[in-house]
Amino acid sequence: MTTEDIATVEGVSENPLHPLGSKPPLDREELRDVIDLSLWMGQLLLQYGAHTDRIERTVHRLGTALGADWLDILISPNAIVATTISGEEFRTKIRRVVSIGVNMAILAETETLIERVESGEVDRFEVRAELKRISLIRRVYNRWYVIAWVGVACAGLCRLLGGDLAAVAATFIASSVAMWVRQELQHQYFNPLINVTATAFVAGVISSLLIRLQITTTPLQLLSASVLMLVPGVPLINSMQDTIRGHLVTGFARGFTGMLIAMSIALGLLLAMLLVGVEGL
Amino acid sequence: MSTETLWVFLQDVILSGVVAAGFAILFNVPPRLLFACALGGAVGRVVRDLLMGGGMNIEPATLIGSLVIGIMGEYFAHRYKTLALIFTVSAAIPMVPGVFAYRGMLGLIRLSNATGETGLMYLTEAAINLTKTGIILGTISVGIAMPVLLFRRTKPLV
Repeated sequence: MTTEDIATVEGVSENPLHPLGSKPPLDREELRDVIDLSLWMGQLLLQYGAHTDRIERTVHRLGTALGADWLDILISPNAIVATTISGEEFRTKIRRVVSIGVNMAILAETETLIERVESGEVDRFEVRAELKRISLIRRVYNRWYVIAWVGVACAGLCRLLGGDLAAVAATFIASSVAMWVRQELQHQYFNPLINVTATAFVAGVISSLLIRLQITTTPLQLLSASVLMLVPGVPLINSMQDTIRGHLVTGFARGFTGMLIAMSIALGLLLAMLLVGVEGL
Repeated sequence: MSTETLWVFLQDVILSGVVAAGFAILFNVPPRLLFACALGGAVGRVVRDLLMGGGMNIEPATLIGSLVIGIMGEYFAHRYKTLALIFTVSAAIPMVPGVFAYRGMLGLIRLSNATGETGLMYLTEAAINLTKTGIILGTISVGIAMPVLLFRRTKPLV
């Protein structure tokens, strides 16, 4: 079949927006592979914190680079639907996605992979192997290294918010211990919001106890900085990115997730302060 | 500028870089990109500090600071061939309004137990602090999202 033949197929050439028939048509088996790999890529991006426009573009780029003429993609907060089109043939598939958390290493790897596919360096089979490898990436850094850095970062934030040196030291202790608890809970598959509340509770209890020892004159800065590693930065920024580009459903869902996380932090802190008896600061 | 202000300023710059790097590690950013995250955090915060030192309110200063972070994020994303989000999220953390959020939350809780006399005071406290938190968080995300729209104006792909 030549390019002209494909372009004149009834029903396919009608839509001027879809540049169909510019590539050799894929058979059903190949098309199945293309949609599977594209959705896999989309799943990784949605799971680990990319915004909707980025996911749509990357899935589309991967599908077309692997030989499909066009992809239509629908992204909801917890599923992706895609249709691959090649010549007269098309296939549609849904993939359920559960948002796990942020993992920038995986996002960076997907971007490297898509560049390689577009330059024609890797074929379908190598893409599958690469996606498998990327899916298995967990942590770049050692667990204790992360705990130490989170402690330092929260202590630094305490100082930036105006805390005194005792408050900075107390923040380091409270947030490091809380981060350790968070990692432990993450391994137990608790609901993410319960996890956030429990982490904020631990940070709150430690800071409140230290406040009751009256070591610091800036208790406010200590209490607020010790839970800042839970701050929902990625959902809030992605919410704005999505909303600005007209992806209102995912945008609102992400914004609401961010608000729920903020409320969970507040709940954990409040419970801690009630327990230890620090009130009216 | 006196030596003391200079010292405080320098301390803020270094701390912001450290904070941004710490959060980048929490978000599992690959080591080769860590320095760019720290740089973004430090520069964004410096811009905000300078503007606030010049008498600007915290909200517009935060907007301009996060616009700078957004532009730097786009530049780094282009240079390292990766996503701007990697740089912008951790760089925005040093500007998070922690104390306002905390005061707002505390105000709301006190409000529920307030009497007629103290109620107005707590209501004002909660309203002011929560509004400030909301506006600052909003300006951070708007500031970060805007530069992309200016630089990458391609025809919709999908």
